[in-house]
Amino acid sequence: MLSRIAESLFWLARYIERAEGTARILDVNYHMLLEQSQQSYRLRWEPLIIMAGEEDRFRKLYKEVNAENVFEFLAFRHDNPSSIVQCIAKARENARTIRDRMSREMWEDINGLFHVANSYVPADEIAAGPHRFCDKIKFGAHRFHGVTDSTLPHDEGWDFLRVGWALERVEMTARLVDVQYHNLLDTPSPTGALDNHQWMAVLRSVGAYEAYHRQYPPPIEPEKVAEMLILNPQHPHSIRFSASEVQAGLRAISGSGRGSYANEAERLAGRLLERLSYDRIGEIFDQGLHGYLNDVLRISGSIGEDIARTYFYYAVVA
Amino acid sequence: MGAAPAHMASLGLFAGYDTGDFYDEMFSSRGEPRPAYTKLFQKLATMARSHFEERRKLADLSFLIQGITFTVYSDGRGTERLFPFDLIPRIIPNSEWQRIDRGLSQRVVALNLFLHDVYGKQQIFRDQRIPRSLVYSCPHFHREVVGVEVPKGIHTHICGIDLVRDSKSGEFCVLEDNVRTPSGVSYVLENRLVMTRTFPDAFQANEVLPVNNYPAELSRILRSLSPRGENEAQIVVLTPGTYNSAYFEHSFLAQQMGVELVEGRDLIVDGGVVYMKTIRGLTRVDVIYRRIDDEFLDSLTFRADSILGVPGLMGAYRAGNVALANAVGNGVADDKAIYAYVPEFIRYYLGEEPVLRSVETFICSKPQDLKYVLDHLDNLVVKAVGESGGYGMLIGPASDRQRIEEFRCRIKANPRNYIAQPVVPLSRVPSYDASEGSIAGRHVDLRPYCLYDGEKVTIVPGGLTRVALQRDSLIVNSSQGGGSKDTWVLRGES
Repeated sequence: MLSRIAESLFWLARYIERAEGTARILDVNYHMLLEQSQQSYRLRWEPLIIMAGEEDRFRKLYKEVNAENVFEFLAFRHDNPSSIVQCIAKARENARTIRDRMSREMWEDINGLFHVANSYVPADEIAAGPHRFCDKIKFGAHRFHGVTDSTLPHDEGWDFLRVGWALERVEMTARLVDVQYHNLLDTPSPTGALDNHQWMAVLRSVGAYEAYHRQYPPPIEPEKVAEMLILNPQHPHSIRFSASEVQAGLRAISGSGRGSYANEAERLAGRLLERLSYDRIGEIFDQGLHGYLNDVLRISGSIGEDIARTYFYYAVVA
Repeated sequence: MGAAPAHMASLGLFAGYDTGDFYDEMFSSRGEPRPAYTKLFQKLATMARSHFEERRKLADLSFLIQGITFTVYSDGRGTERLFPFDLIPRIIPNSEWQRIDRGLSQRVVALNLFLHDVYGKQQIFRDQRIPRSLVYSCPHFHREVVGVEVPKGIHTHICGIDLVRDSKSGEFCVLEDNVRTPSGVSYVLENRLVMTRTFPDAFQANEVLPVNNYPAELSRILRSLSPRGENEAQIVVLTPGTYNSAYFEHSFLAQQMGVELVEGRDLIVDGGVVYMKTIRGLTRVDVIYRRIDDEFLDSLTFRADSILGVPGLMGAYRAGNVALANAVGNGVADDKAIYAYVPEFIRYYLGEEPVLRSVETFICSKPQDLKYVLDHLDNLVVKAVGESGGYGMLIGPASDRQRIEEFRCRIKANPRNYIAQPVVPLSRVPSYDASEGSIAGRHVDLRPYCLYDGEKVTIVPGGLTRVALQRDSLIVNSSQGGGSKDTWVLRGES
């Protein structure tokens, strides 16, 4: 497989995942806040901008942090490189450069999603609330997963997609937990019920609400939510599950077996997964959640860099 | 010819149809459907406008979803435009097609022999069938490849030869040869696919020859060129990249043939061998179907500022370590002044008379022709010899005085760069005019795609029919309001 193609597949998956994650968080946050007081507005929307790492850009464009502005900024702005429409445009651009390597169904699906995403009129959607748009994106991403899974040979190209998806998900979930915790624990809240509400939103944003309730008795406790999202071995949005997908994909590409690694990316993925498999949530809180999640993000960044070094870039020869 | 007979005026979408003073592909001069079109005409004449509109929208949507679009990047967001598709097919009677097939095969073989000669022994100059100076002064004649042995002696693997039907004679004639990197074949295949999806019943009534064998045949020919033998052949399609307007076609062909689509940056030449950069290291490349012009292929041999190609590629080509299709230097054969000599090539190399007529051509580097051209500019079409795609053209009857005078100066300054031809009144095919909501005659040309394996020429039945969708326009290029049609050759007699 050409290095350029492997790289495009990797980024195609990452952009799709980023678009989906952003849509999930926007949708859930908005609906939870419908039942909230006006004062909590700023508090609840700011984390989304921080998560996207776009605080400076947002401040330049808007005066106020409110639902409408954040929605417009994260969903529709073409001058925000992290916006949903931009992520999908970039995913499609990557797909376009490798459309000969994808199934026809995959290309038509991602191309269709691009046209759908661009057919919305931002003003109408802002008035209607984010659900209609976000739902379309979320299920568009799900569909693309499904189409890919059932039409693309599960060869190394598929593994690069898988690694891209999983690595992006590790980061999206780590940021989500970090930002929400930071926000909730640093700010004294008027009632416990508000926290509860917010944690429900967090769980819903990754589709883990039902799974949580099967595993833990009520009420919703922040520490348990963190445990679910960081350490659960089975939920597809947990950091641990996603890290194990990264490792499995990397091993499939290089052919290395258990207990060994072929490159730095595999070594780091193995080490990350080891920690996530044996750490207890109590220990993580003792050493500091923020520091722990920062470590996860740092390692995940290094994994991405080493994948590029190992598979994508050529030092100039000849 | 003239207005259609009264009985057509009542026929739904054909209401008010006028064949005008042109050869109409569907209707005879008496206004009756020609035999090959009978069933199609009946189908369309009884179809409700709403029903037709519905299918037309379905077809457009299908092209949009498949991403068969042109991208306009000027607004920073990448606006996509459809290459307009006209739902009414163009039909070529089988007997007529057989003659076209014979004529094109003959022409492709002759063009190939000419290229082999010009870049080899140059016997044709000694026999004085064409002036050496005319060939050497072609902008696309490349001294760099004189004496290079190409695999199996094939230069013209893939040709797109533009034909038009002259309304005066009703006969097909050759308008120009494209033997460098002709594009459009993907539209032939996609148009057919969309057509079978949106208009299945029309196919049931007619027996249409299939077109989908093209990628397999192209793949077979490319494979046969491999310097390491067919079994080890690593084939790639070389594209300038996603910003090229034909990018869709490049990726389409790579996908259909199951080979890698590469950009220049994916390739590297080491020790006179071409490699591609893969996640497992370097992999040798044997055959390159290149969709990059000669001038951009190798910055060490041609344009030094090209970043599209592969430095050192020509060295590997000369050493016989990699095959290129089409061969380098083919532009000399589709030079518009050389065009006038192709009938002579057919006689000289094959000892045959040309099956297909060429359009009368005045070569401005000949003093006599130049005088005639300058005296008759307002009646002629003037073309720059090295250009394609409708660039550098003057259509005399449709131009104002200022533009004509501008061309007069250009021709006088560089006569070798221009030829002139009489205006060919192109035939018309009924086409849907969305603004009128009815069917009207529109001018068309035809580009069949010819594949040459060194022994025989294989031609996809039909080819790409381009249609000038604007009323009275003769320009079929997509950049100027042109669209395309599915093109049918029917099985058996008709």
